[in-house]
Amino acid sequence: MITFSNVNKWFGDLHVLRDINLSVGAGEVMVVCGPSGSGKSTLIRCINRLEQIEEGDLIVDGMNVHDRKVNMTQLRAEIGFIFQQFNLYPHMTALENVILAPTKVRKMKKDEADKLGRETLKRVGLGDKVDSYPAQLSGGQQQRVAIARGLCMRPKIMLFDEPTSALDPEMINEVLEVMVNLAKEGMTMIVVTHEMGFAREVAERILFMDEGQIVEIAPPEEFFTKPKSERTKLFLSKILTH
Amino acid sequence: MLETFNFRVILEYMPLYFKCFSATLWLSGAGLIGALLVGTVACAMRLSQSRIVSLIAGVYIESIRSTPLLAQIYFFYFGLPSLGIMFSEEVTGIFALTLNSGAYMAEIIRAGIQSIPHGQIEAGIASGLSYFQRMRYIILPQALGVTILPLLGQGIVLVKDSSLLSLISIMELTRAGQILTSERFMPAEGFLTTAAFYLIIYYILKGFSSWVQKRLIFREAY
Ligand SMILES: Nc1ncnc2c1ncn2[C@@H]1O[C@H](COP(=O)(O)OP(=O)(O)OP(=O)(O)O)[C@@H](O)[C@H]1O
Ligand SMILES: [Mg+2]
Repeated sequence: MITFSNVNKWFGDLHVLRDINLSVGAGEVMVVCGPSGSGKSTLIRCINRLEQIEEGDLIVDGMNVHDRKVNMTQLRAEIGFIFQQFNLYPHMTALENVILAPTKVRKMKKDEADKLGRETLKRVGLGDKVDSYPAQLSGGQQQRVAIARGLCMRPKIMLFDEPTSALDPEMINEVLEVMVNLAKEGMTMIVVTHEMGFAREVAERILFMDEGQIVEIAPPEEFFTKPKSERTKLFLSKILTH
Repeated sequence: MLETFNFRVILEYMPLYFKCFSATLWLSGAGLIGALLVGTVACAMRLSQSRIVSLIAGVYIESIRSTPLLAQIYFFYFGLPSLGIMFSEEVTGIFALTLNSGAYMAEIIRAGIQSIPHGQIEAGIASGLSYFQRMRYIILPQALGVTILPLLGQGIVLVKDSSLLSLISIMELTRAGQILTSERFMPAEGFLTTAAFYLIIYYILKGFSSWVQKRLIFREAY
């Protein structure tokens, strides 16, 4: 579904992605972790071309993302992206937020989109919040609206960039629950997160990044019990103590 | 002092004042519409990906904002004809007001657009919305909220600035005061009446502005 071959990326002099080779299959759930500034966000932002790559190939759903001829609208419609800061449109209700792209990009009929929007909000536990504005919702509820907004496009892939990092602790679980359900329904997901409980429960593989490189990729069992690299061990000792 | 203030003369000149009042109204109205259009286009150009397009808009905005309006009016009135480009006084006046105010409005609109957090724009990009769709559905509806009051403020400035058009012998409110003054030697009567008419326009715009503000505050209370 997603294949990186020898991908390199620079921000000016900073070599943020170094020789990335990675393949994520359909229906797979992969968790990405690593220290701050290691390039995790950049890695997943390349997948829907929020960032450009300078070298290598990146194939998503059979399309070469950095080929100029590729229809980006079509590609992006297939990929949901969830941001740390939710990024809801504050002047629109929850329902208006989730049906904007379906009606404008997918050209879905208004009443059909309306029905889909209400169903999807219900699916993330917000059936009673369709007419609320983002400012009237808690952080956890806003993030669930953002997930519903992604799902309404019926994407093949969902990318999450630290979806729970901006949330108060008591709201983290309601969001993780939605993501766990999604994973169990077979969605292809790449999730940047330090929620290791989530990783243990649903990830097929965990990827550890440092300084723009993939240091280690392993199934959760192996990743937690016998990490190969010293850097992974050090990182795990830091995040698992709290 | 007041017994020397001559109300009869003011009444006598009322028809002239009404004529000039409506001239000020339509000159500023036309200038305002023109400035909004020019401002929107200049702002779009300023924010364009293309360096050259952005530079052209930048030069326009900077050169207008760094020079006095009177100098600009004189340039259009005396300078352009000497280059072989002729317009009537009114058209020249509207043209000057439009270009002048348009530069300020471009900056106001730009500030409004740039006040939208970048994350929302990225969310739009990520869901496949085109540049125009993002403008239409995400950026402009929100930018309008923060720009409408400064734009109305600029509109009030424009009305006041239109008095400079009296210097290229356009019949408008300030010119009416000059005429009364020079025909009857009554500058106090002449210019106080002029001022009173400007005050009327000011209160109309200000009233509209606070009406808008109330509606905006109501909307923000969601
Ligand atoms: N637009 C940009 N321009 C220049 N440098 C950038 C840009 N975006 C990110 N960087 C730099 O690239 C590096 C990797 O950033 P990235 O956001 O991918 O890290 P991250 O692993 O997601 O970190 P965090 O855990 O803090 O979110 C960082 O050093 C960052 O400062
Ligand atoms: Mg990040």
